[in-house]
Amino acid sequence: MVVFPVSQVESPVRPETGEPGGRLGRLLDARLLLLLVVVALGSRNLLADAVDSPALQTWSTIFVSIFIQALPFLVLGVLVSGALAALVPPGWLARALPRRDVVAVPAAGLAGAVLPGCECASVPVAARLRERGVRPAAALAFMLAAPAINPVVLVATAVAFPGRPEMVAARFLASLLTSVVVGLVWSRFGRDEWIDRARSRLVEGDTRWQSFGQTACVDFLQAGGWLVVGAMAAATLQAFVPRSLLDAVASHHLLAALCLGLLAVALAICSEADAFVAASLRQFPLDTRLVFLVVGPTVDIKLIAMQVGVFGRRFAVRFASLTFVVAVVCALLVGRWLL
Amino acid sequence: MLLVVGATALWLGLSDASLAYVRAALRPPLAASGAVLLALAAATLRAGPQPGRATPSAHGHGGRLGAGWLLILPVLVLLLVAPPALGSYAASRQASRSGGPVGAFPPLADPVDGAVPMTVSEFVGRALYDQRRSLEGARVRVLGFATPGEDGGYRLARFNVFCCAADAEAYEIVIRGDPSRRQADQWLLVEGRWLPEPPVARVAPSSRRPVLVAEAVTPVRPPTDRYEHSIFGI
Repeated sequence: MVVFPVSQVESPVRPETGEPGGRLGRLLDARLLLLLVVVALGSRNLLADAVDSPALQTWSTIFVSIFIQALPFLVLGVLVSGALAALVPPGWLARALPRRDVVAVPAAGLAGAVLPGCECASVPVAARLRERGVRPAAALAFMLAAPAINPVVLVATAVAFPGRPEMVAARFLASLLTSVVVGLVWSRFGRDEWIDRARSRLVEGDTRWQSFGQTACVDFLQAGGWLVVGAMAAATLQAFVPRSLLDAVASHHLLAALCLGLLAVALAICSEADAFVAASLRQFPLDTRLVFLVVGPTVDIKLIAMQVGVFGRRFAVRFASLTFVVAVVCALLVGRWLL
Repeated sequence: MLLVVGATALWLGLSDASLAYVRAALRPPLAASGAVLLALAAATLRAGPQPGRATPSAHGHGGRLGAGWLLILPVLVLLLVAPPALGSYAASRQASRSGGPVGAFPPLADPVDGAVPMTVSEFVGRALYDQRRSLEGARVRVLGFATPGEDGGYRLARFNVFCCAADAEAYEIVIRGDPSRRQADQWLLVEGRWLPEPPVARVAPSSRRPVLVAEAVTPVRPPTDRYEHSIFGI
């Protein structure tokens, strides 16, 4: 019931977003939004009585909480990704990587650790890397590893699982393993013609400050928007789905692992925030939540959409299914060993 | 959009409103991220449109905002609904809780005004898992909200939050010996003694709830931070 008035408020402004929009349109956007907020502030708690059902209140509390908790991490992530876009020359990584796939794939996976950002940033970067002559398998390994094993995500994981450092280690290992295995399988069996249109348009400004600001803004809006979707889905699961249903699934180990893997695909939560959602899925065993954390950054609905856009549909279908299977298996193996 | 989200984050970071959703430690980062977003928004507005610049189609949506429009949803929910901290409804939906440490608990704190103040999660942890039974005979004071229990009685509950309300765990104590009926979500300060039971043998999720025999019950105003933030009841 919360959603309907919101979408009505939103719709008159939406058509403007299709076009690039002039400066006037941009200012108008900002003014409309400011007006909206002023009205909203004036009528604060206006809807509070309308939403007196405790289930809906719980839903909105959890929804808002996940979003607020993830926000600082998201901002930190897009700042660093903006800085990297502005400061690291695009050819640098390509030159630093070795030629042979067997060496290049693990190296590219590890190199992912130095690109803090969420998965939305890594798809265009991987496309750009491939364009500059990096072997496709290495670029793909980098794309899978970067959103999962970088310091920002690992710190977020440590915060979300206090007192469980082995969860951070397991996430690092399983994600790195996934990216290397997928990279090597792709280098052995993958065909270059599956990647049909490698059109990667990164946001680049004239000055470093402009590339920085624009990358950060675009990343924030994209990742933030999908974070909202993920938070809503997670809140719905928590507030409305009967507890016993989740508990029933959670008691079958393999089924639970598969379900959480699929949930990670469906929720499409930013890798900087998914640890908090995983921490909240308390009725599931720890290693199936690791599946959630390993699958999430490597394959989810928004990533598949982005990969279709950047690499083409034939690539995305094969790549996503391969990655899903490898990620689930790697997470379960590492989870059995470490957790 | 950056402006709106940034302003909201800054407001949350500087006010107590965020305590219903996240722990207090997150407020400085929240305020900082709000300031950063406002600065980014100001820079974008000042730079104006970039004619001929490729829109980021690699991000899945052709539009300038794309999925970014969804960011208005949490802001509107926050402002219009102002969802309250989790209460008795959410507590009633949690059947089991995660296990705690078994065995060595630190000694009880010193009594203040004739009773040992402790959190609900500490009481539950000691009652279920302390092999030395440190609670036995001690008069304790706990703060929580009432949630309806079996046969007309009530339980004293409080949520423990690691990061945000999404990971909140309800800890509950069954209250005996209070003749008055208490409304759900009424905040109460309860003094009393533990009804001893044998401790749980191993670390495992347990749905057992300890019993507190009340000697004095005082209705109080809700605290500023309605959650506890401890790890496994210590």
